[in-house]
Amino acid sequence: MGDRILLVEDDDPLGSQIVGHLRGAGFEPVWWREGRLLVSGHLPDVSLVVLDLMLPGTYGLDMLKALRTFSEVPVLILSARNDTLDKVRALKLGADDYMTKPFWPEELVERVRARLRRPTLQKEQTVVEVGPLRIDLQGHSVQVQGRPVELTRVEFELLAALARRSQEAVTRQWLVEHVLDPEREGTERTLDVHVSRLRRKLGPVKCVETVWGVGYRLVPGEDA
Amino acid sequence: MKLRLRLALTAVAVAVPAVFALVQVEHSVRRRTTDEVIIASTLSQMQSGGRERCEAAPETWMVRARSPQRPPWEREGLPDGTGPAAGGPRPGDEGPPRMGTRGPLGRRLPPVNLYPFDGQFVSRNPQAPALDDELRKGVQDDGVGVRRYSKADGALVQDLLLRMPWDGGPCEYVLARRVEPAESPEVGLPPLYVWGVPTLILLSAMVVALGPVVQRLRRLTDEVRASSGSGYEQPVTVSGSDEIAELARAFQQARAEIQAQMAHQQAREQTLRDFLANTTHDVMTPLTVLQGHLAAMQQRMRAGEPLESGLMLSAMSEAHYMASLVHNLGAAARLEAGAPQVQHAPVDLNALVSRVLGRHQPIARPQRIALESGVPATPTWVMGDETLLEQAVSNVVLNGIRYGREDGHVAVVLEKTRQQTFHLRVIDDGPGISEEERSRILERRFRGNEARTREPQGQGLGLHIVHNVVELHGWKMTLAPSEYGGLEVAFTGPLMSPPE
Repeated sequence: MGDRILLVEDDDPLGSQIVGHLRGAGFEPVWWREGRLLVSGHLPDVSLVVLDLMLPGTYGLDMLKALRTFSEVPVLILSARNDTLDKVRALKLGADDYMTKPFWPEELVERVRARLRRPTLQKEQTVVEVGPLRIDLQGHSVQVQGRPVELTRVEFELLAALARRSQEAVTRQWLVEHVLDPEREGTERTLDVHVSRLRRKLGPVKCVETVWGVGYRLVPGEDA
Repeated sequence: MKLRLRLALTAVAVAVPAVFALVQVEHSVRRRTTDEVIIASTLSQMQSGGRERCEAAPETWMVRARSPQRPPWEREGLPDGTGPAAGGPRPGDEGPPRMGTRGPLGRRLPPVNLYPFDGQFVSRNPQAPALDDELRKGVQDDGVGVRRYSKADGALVQDLLLRMPWDGGPCEYVLARRVEPAESPEVGLPPLYVWGVPTLILLSAMVVALGPVVQRLRRLTDEVRASSGSGYEQPVTVSGSDEIAELARAFQQARAEIQAQMAHQQAREQTLRDFLANTTHDVMTPLTVLQGHLAAMQQRMRAGEPLESGLMLSAMSEAHYMASLVHNLGAAARLEAGAPQVQHAPVDLNALVSRVLGRHQPIARPQRIALESGVPATPTWVMGDETLLEQAVSNVVLNGIRYGREDGHVAVVLEKTRQQTFHLRVIDDGPGISEEERSRILERRFRGNEARTREPQGQGLGLHIVHNVVELHGWKMTLAPSEYGGLEVAFTGPLMSPPE
């Protein structure tokens, strides 16, 4: 059973489309076709609310304001008005995100997923496991499939920096500034050499991914 | 005629009090002159034999000024009851000159009667009028007591009490009485010619003086009407150095201002017409392509043939382009409106990059163009208009996607520098832009119909908006060849402290 999503949308074709795509993505949508005066106890048990801004009967921002008096559920605002003032107001009233029509369904699904994923962020961990890799940030040790790997200081710092932002791209420039010794070796070319050596030491696993134009990213890899 | 009517009423309103004042002055002057004549005449007569005659017979002494028409028995000294038989020449008729001196304006004065009084203001002549305190105080203080009053029939009575230059005796004081009949012109207004002529002269002068003024006003009116009729093209040219010329110059300035406003209005309307024409073209062209694709799909479905994925992808691409175009039109309207419509607020560029790539992923994937991004670990806050900034970055990314090569890439890299600025780059490996075109795109006020064409290289409204948004926010934008063989668009601007 997927997360329950409350959709407040008065346009039938659009509402039907959104409901279809949310259901196809594994969520369980609850669809309200008109705005209602929200009071505690009347809100379904949902993980996220998708709220249209222009609704007959009541203004979307008024619903948002009422909702925030008793609930912290994430709220994603939809609007045909591409207006900064509306966005600023919505965010001030407690909206978490804002989408402007027209949008692709996959864009909406991805945004919902990102919003639901965010609260699961944890405090910085001392041990990061990515696929076959296990990195002890405090003990300064690395294991690949349970086998210890000997790394130089630079190589370890490089891997640790990527591990702290697992599955996110980290720019070359940032790595150069924060990992390499600024007094001796400070160019992106040098960085690439270190990455190459790191990859060789990690063996057949391909966990350090090049992000075109950006830098590098730590991923689970395919060989597991 | 309203102005002339006002002037006529004003002239009347001024003339009436002026004439009234003139009459008052004339009366006052005449009165003072008459008094002086009577005083001088009385003293002269008393000092040339009058005293002796008065003191000889104070009970009957009375002087009546002789008139040529008066009977001879009314000579001085004779009682009124004497018959004509008593008349005739007598010794003593020859003597001082008779009363009857001519007064002001050469007119003969009415008769003046003289009555004697002693030191206690008692007269032995029973016909003498009684003296009041006013007369006594006047003669004691100033040597002359003056009294004036009107009788019931409208006649004006004038009394002058004089002190003689000698002391004692029954004739120490002399009262001179003069009675002005009611019909005398002295009582009412002076003769018509006295006040009529000046008034007529005044009115004539006003009419003569106003002639040129009215004429100049009429000419100014005609010129203003002509200028208005010509759409304020024709200047107002009344010359001179008076107030009317000043008014003409004010009209001239107003005319110039109106003309400038009309020119500005026409320029704006022309700009709007050009904008709408170009925009209509921008919207209608992809819409036509979209309709073509839909029609083709419909035909294939009817024929039972499988749908060609290329048509579907093109349809999606056109729809996406139109959505972007509508957003750009909204952004262009806001930029044109200026400050009131641009809302500055804290913007997290990390989230903005994420939204932009999320929006374009569905259109990039079918073209096998990979979208990548790298942002700092913590939010990147700037002060700006989120909608405009998002549209600007979106335009650059969309250009990279639409004109990138298959199996190409578009990357968005956001970094913070130690100088408290951000550095945002959009990099692609598609065909680059020549140096000449890059500098042309960066020209200030890159406007014109060229800006709205979709070819080549996607230059158009989108890049125009990017440039304006950058300028509006005080950012810096550069175009350079990317190290991957494509184009790199870079933005730099100041960071702000994280909002609470």
